[in-house]
Formats: sequence, structure tokens, C-alpha cells
Amino acid sequence: MAVNAKRNSIRSRKRWLALRKIVQMTALLTFVLLFIAARRDGWPPDMVNVPLRLDPLAMLVYSLATRTILIGSLLALITIGLTLIFGRAWCGWLCPLGTVLDIFTPKRHRRKQSSPPEKLRAVKYVLLLTLIIAAVLGNLTLMIFDPITIMARTLSIGVWPAFDQAITSLERTLYGVPFLQEPIGSFDNLMRPAVLPIEPLFYRDTLLFAAVFIGIIALNWIASRFWCRYLCPLGGLLGVISKVAIVRREVREDCTQCAACGRVCPTDTIQPDKNFASDPAECTICLDCWAFCPQSGVGFPAHRSRAVWNDYDPNRRQALIAIGAAVTGLALFKSDATARRENPQLIRPPGARENDLLDKCIRCNMCSRACPTGAIQPSITEAGLVGLWTPVLVPRIGYCDYSCNACGQVCPVQAIPPLSLDEKRQRVIGRAYIDQNRCIAWADHRDCIVCEEMCPLPDKAIKLEKVNVLNAGGTPVTVQLPHVNRDKCIGCGICEYKCPVNSTAAIRVYVPGTVG
Amino acid sequence: MSHLSRRVFLRWLAASLGTAAGGELLSACGGTPTPDRPLAAPTKFAAPTKITVPTAMAQPAATLMPSDTLVSPTTTAAPAGAPDLVVARGGEPQALVQQALKALGGIERFVKPGNDVIVKPNMCVAYHSYEYAATTNPWVVAELVALCLGAGASRVRVMDYPFGGSADEAYQRSGIKEQVEAAGGSMEVMSRVKYVNTDLPDGVDLHKCYIYDDILKADVVINVPIAKHHSLARLTLGMKNLMGTIRDREMMHADLGQRLTDLAGRVRPALTVVDAVRILMNNGPTGGNLDDVKKLDTLIASADIVAADSYAATLFDLKPDDLAYIRAGVASGLGRSDLSNMKIEEIRVGG
Repeated sequence: MAVNAKRNSIRSRKRWLALRKIVQMTALLTFVLLFIAARRDGWPPDMVNVPLRLDPLAMLVYSLATRTILIGSLLALITIGLTLIFGRAWCGWLCPLGTVLDIFTPKRHRRKQSSPPEKLRAVKYVLLLTLIIAAVLGNLTLMIFDPITIMARTLSIGVWPAFDQAITSLERTLYGVPFLQEPIGSFDNLMRPAVLPIEPLFYRDTLLFAAVFIGIIALNWIASRFWCRYLCPLGGLLGVISKVAIVRREVREDCTQCAACGRVCPTDTIQPDKNFASDPAECTICLDCWAFCPQSGVGFPAHRSRAVWNDYDPNRRQALIAIGAAVTGLALFKSDATARRENPQLIRPPGARENDLLDKCIRCNMCSRACPTGAIQPSITEAGLVGLWTPVLVPRIGYCDYSCNACGQVCPVQAIPPLSLDEKRQRVIGRAYIDQNRCIAWADHRDCIVCEEMCPLPDKAIKLEKVNVLNAGGTPVTVQLPHVNRDKCIGCGICEYKCPVNSTAAIRVYVPGTVG
Repeated sequence: MSHLSRRVFLRWLAASLGTAAGGELLSACGGTPTPDRPLAAPTKFAAPTKITVPTAMAQPAATLMPSDTLVSPTTTAAPAGAPDLVVARGGEPQALVQQALKALGGIERFVKPGNDVIVKPNMCVAYHSYEYAATTNPWVVAELVALCLGAGASRVRVMDYPFGGSADEAYQRSGIKEQVEAAGGSMEVMSRVKYVNTDLPDGVDLHKCYIYDDILKADVVINVPIAKHHSLARLTLGMKNLMGTIRDREMMHADLGQRLTDLAGRVRPALTVVDAVRILMNNGPTGGNLDDVKKLDTLIASADIVAADSYAATLFDLKPDDLAYIRAGVASGLGRSDLSNMKIEEIRVGG
């Protein structure tokens, strides 16, 4: 009888694991669904922004850097409240990156003899402190390490365009089969533009973005949830809060020291030499230890004391390193050439330039997802290292659609201001310049007019001048030469995008304005 | 590492294949130009290298329309006494369509019961509502849809491939989506997988081109341009409206007149209805300034695309011969531009 009762209790505990996995998958799918819906004419911005606004790290450092608090960012208090009660349950139950890491965990068939040194856990705290100090000093570059922005960026720059290419290839192949043509057509109309873009989207260095993500997953092979244990700055923030969380793991008297819990713990925080106790800052409340305990040796009762402080937990030494790193880093950024004179191609999304984008952008790249033409790319070189992966418009890859204002609507922190369509149409993001040495009309005296045709402004910022000239062969010809009226041009870049000259366009958009 | 089990081997195999496939896919997403959107404007159309639909697929479609029937673009011979061209003036858009089609011999002349019909308006940009005369009048399109359905068409689809903004946005902002769906038609976003590399056996300058498969396969294609200013072609009318049936528009500019003629000879709309309810006098084809719009409340309908364009040119005080594509169209035998020798029926609708 006693054996049966124990079995039943183990079975019921395992049901909790099933529940956790369901919650994890639901959260991940919700994240992807909201990502898909973050397009022009998609779901309301306040809805698609929920994951990023639930991210307390993003909202905290944004508030520190800008000295403002967005109403929407108060959603992050939910996550903080959750952490005050259940510790890092966010990491174990909700975080989309954590779930991806759980999915790609190698079978724990052999317990690693040499787990990475415990000291390494300090890295996430140093990263967190540096991020916070830099934010106080007005810099958000390190937000590229936030797990939610990593997920959003990987989806928009790597996964989704690749998924689109894969689906398109499949559709094209199947479209060759006569009786499949109707169903493929219906399927395609169902998918586009709701899920996939109508036109293919292209991003620069997609492999780089995929490699970063695959690298984070690959670390799982060194130790499960390597990222969450040692590197994640959000994990660090939630870990510090977890030190005073109410619900914490406890080893009960029933423990027979069988060490089963230590073998299953994904963050390896169960310490055999300390009577199998664990650090609440490392515990993700995944419940594996509780469910796999052959006895009833593990419980999660309420506490009211502060947990033990470990060697690797935030300390003065770490704070000094962080201050040093932040100050040195920012000083170096200030002496970087990009700080003296901006890159001529650093075209920012509408309204972002005047809005000090660099200080506000949390590097989530949701604007890239929202942009229907793929014009908004994560900056790799244009903005320097300080502006790594902030949005930049690359007109040759995509143009700023005159009928669209999606980027500003979707931006969770208004780094790109939420302009109405009429306001956005007035906003100057750059100015077009003609390269007369390469322009078909100017250089070769042949009519082209594509830039003028494409110009979306009601009175056209590109005008054509009809001239009679001698061509290279000495024959008199009449040709229409394009001129840009720079007072009207808003820099949308459709002229550069559509310019039929091969490779680099013969009309190009540059950063607006002059010095002084 | 004891031994490599089958499971482990398969996992690694899957991982490496996945990486290889993923790498290829990701590199396909890179910022480099792809055959989907060639940047060059070569004088000879260079066929994009990548095509998954075998050419054999395009072949039967090409034989549906024998190459020697270029002279009569209609699917059905005109009934005796029917005019070559009808101009309707001075009424609501729906009434203009009804009266013009009636005078032309009825929609039944073009649409037979069970036909699959595609109506191709001009929805080239997603920027403005129809009042700006950059896109075809929604009620003109919707009335044509309703007439086709009334004649027993099995389905009527409306589509275009805009160059500025995306299709779904253009459909909506133009107001066409709302009216077409109310009339019982459906809007189709033109899918990039449905363009097939098509032979143009009668092409003089254009011999191969990616054309939308459904446009080629439809029983009836009705061409509904709006009359607009255009800096290169001077005007964009019926022939130029067919630019929306192909994918690589840039290469058309090399010899626009002849290439439009070649394309029209392949697409062969049964009926061209030029919407001149509002015309755009300047800053076309994108528009956006109401000062450039002139309200004419006029509609031109003809089975002859060249004739329809020729008449429409006169609305802008131009002669048909002023337009290169009309000259090319006449020279190739696609249609007529001699308005004085045509049987033209002018009707005044409602007052």
C-alpha cells in the first residue's frame, strides 16, 4: 500500500511537469503568434508589444537611460511580482528563449563530471550591472544580450525570411504539379500577407544572426541552459529578486541523499556538498527535482528570509568591474569615429532621428518585422559598435512605403515615434542625390524616368528636364534628365530601390541636413 | 564516447542536413539581388536563371492561342452591327458601364456561362483613395464584376501587382476591395509562385516573359485601366495597364512601345474598359494632388485594346500616333487607331 501511494504521488508530481511544458509551449507559441501579428494592419500594437513590455530588464534600463516611464512598461511589474513570489519561474515557465533551450537540450544520459566552474555564474551579474550602469549613463548597447530581444531579432532577421524562402521553394515545386495548382494558390493566398510577406524580404548577413542564436543553443551541449545559468542579464536581474522570493526550494527530512535531484537539475544548482540545497537565484522552479525525487525529499514552501549569498552573487568586486567596463566602453564609444561624423547612409526610420533613437532603442528589431518592404535592417556597421543592431533603412534592399507607418506603431518604447500616416508622409528621413556619372539619362542620354515615375509625392520631388543633346555618337537626341528637388524630397528611397542601373543605384538617399 | 548508436547517427545526420539546408535558405535571404527582382534593364530580356515550373508546363497554355489569330483579339466575333468602340458620358460609374456594355453587344458577347474571369484594374500604388485618380474607379470595376457574374461566370477575380506599396494595402485604400467584394467578386493577391516563364511566339522584341499563370489560363481577361499621365509613355492606358500582369517590369522600359504590344498580344484581354470618370493630368502614375485630377464622367469600351487607348488619348488632347505603344500596336496588327474609320457609338447617360 505504501509503495502504491508513493507511486501515485510521483505520478501526480510528474503531471506538474507536463503542465509546465504545456505552459512553456503556450508561451512560446504566443510569442511567435504576437510576432507574426506585429505587421502592418496586424493586431493592435499594445497587444503585440506585450512580450517586450513584460521584460523588466528592457523596461528598467529604458527608464534609466531616458529618465521616463512609459505607461506600457508598467506591465513589467507583473513579471517582477511573479518573481517576488515564485523566483525565476519566468525562466523556467515563460521565457521563449528558455523554452527553445529546453527543446534543444541533449539527453542527460551522462552526468558531466566537470560542470563549468561556479564562478562563471557571476558573468550574468557583471553583464547586468554593466548594462544598468551604462543605461544610467544613457547607453543601451548591451540590450543586444536581452533574451527577449534575441528571440525577436532572430525571428525577424533569420527565421522568418528563411521560413518564407523555404515555403516559397516548396510552393514553386508543388505548383509544377498540375492538380496541385489550385490548392497551392489557395494556400498561398491564405498565408500572404497574414503570415508571410507577399514579396520576399532580404536581410544583410542573415547567417550572422542565425549563428548567434545557434551558438546560444550550442552552449547547451556544454551544460544545459548554459545561457540562463551564466550569461543571461535578464536571468541575473530576476535572480537577484529571487533571493527574497517567497516560494523557494527546500530539502526535507525525507531526503535519502540519493542525488537524483542533482542529476536532473537543468541549471545544476543543487549542491551535494551543501546537503543538496540550491540557490533560488539559479532555480527556475522547473520542478524536475521535486518530480523525480524517489522520496518526498523536496518541497517548495514559503519563506520570508533572504537566501544565502554565494561567492558568485553580485558583490563589490563585480560592481567595480561593471563600473569600469561601462565607463571605459562609453569613453571608447565617444572616441569612435562614428561619434564625430555619422555615416552618410545612416538613414533612420521616420521620426527616429529627431527622437534620439540611439538612446532609446532596446534593439528588439520588431520594426524590421513590421516593415513590409524589408527596408529596416539591423545596423551592422553604419551606426558603429555603439549602435549595433539598431534600425537603419537600406533603400537598395527596401524602400519606405508611402502608405505605411507600421514601424512607429510597433516600436515598444517609441524610439521610433508613433506617427500618423499623414505625419509620417511629411517626415524627412533622407534626401536623394543623383549620380550623374551613372544615371542612364545623364550619362548615356537615354530616357529612363523610373525615379520620377516612382516618386510618391503628390507634386514629385523629382522633376524631368527635356533637353536636346548630342549623344556619344554625335547624334542629336532629346532626353528627359531627372533633377531632385531637395526641398520636397523626404528620402523614402523608392527611387534608389527601383533605379534600373545595376548594383549600386544611380540615385541614392543620404542622411539629411548639413552641419551647422 | 562508447559507440555511435543509430539514433545518435540519425540525429547528427538530421542536424548536418538541416544546417546545410538552413544555410542555403539563409543565404537565399541575403541582401544580394536575386532573380526575383533583376536590377538591370538589359536591352535583350535576360531570363532569370531560377525557375522551378518546367517550361513544358507553359507550352500547352501557349498553344491555346494560335499565333496567327493576332488580328482579332476578342474571344467571340462581334455581332453584326455592333460598334468597334463605345464612349459613354455623363452619368454614375455603374450606369456608364451598363450602358457602354449594352451598346457594345452585351457582356454575354465576352463572358459565357461557367467562364473563369479575371478583371485587371489599375491599382499600381497603395497611396491614395480613388478620388486621386491613381487607381481605377471602384464602382466601374465592381459593375463589371457584377455583369460578369450575371452572365454566368463561375468566378470573377480582381487583381493587380502594385509597384508602390503592397497589394493588400492598394486593394483596400483604392476602395476597390470593398466594392468588388460587395458585388460578389474576390480580390486575389498575386502570388509570386504563380508567374511562369512564357513564350511570346508573336513577340517582335519580347520573346519570353514571366506572366501570371492565372491571367494566361483565365477564360476571359477584362482590362480596366484608368487614364493617367506618365512621363515616359506620356499616358498610361489599356496597354500599359498590362504591366501589372508581369513581374519584371524594369526590363519593359528598354523598348516600351514594342514590348507592350508583344505583351498585349499574349495576354489578349477580351475587353478593354478605360475608366475616365476621373483622369490624372499630371504627376502620374502615382498622383496624390487633386489639382491634377479632371472629372470627365466618361468611359470607353472596346474589344480592341489599341482602339480604346487611341480614343482615350484624345481626352488628353493627344493624337493616337503620339503614343509609341499605339504606333507599335497598329504596326504589329494588334489593333486599330484610325478613329475616323471606326464605328464609334457615343452615348450620353442620364442627362
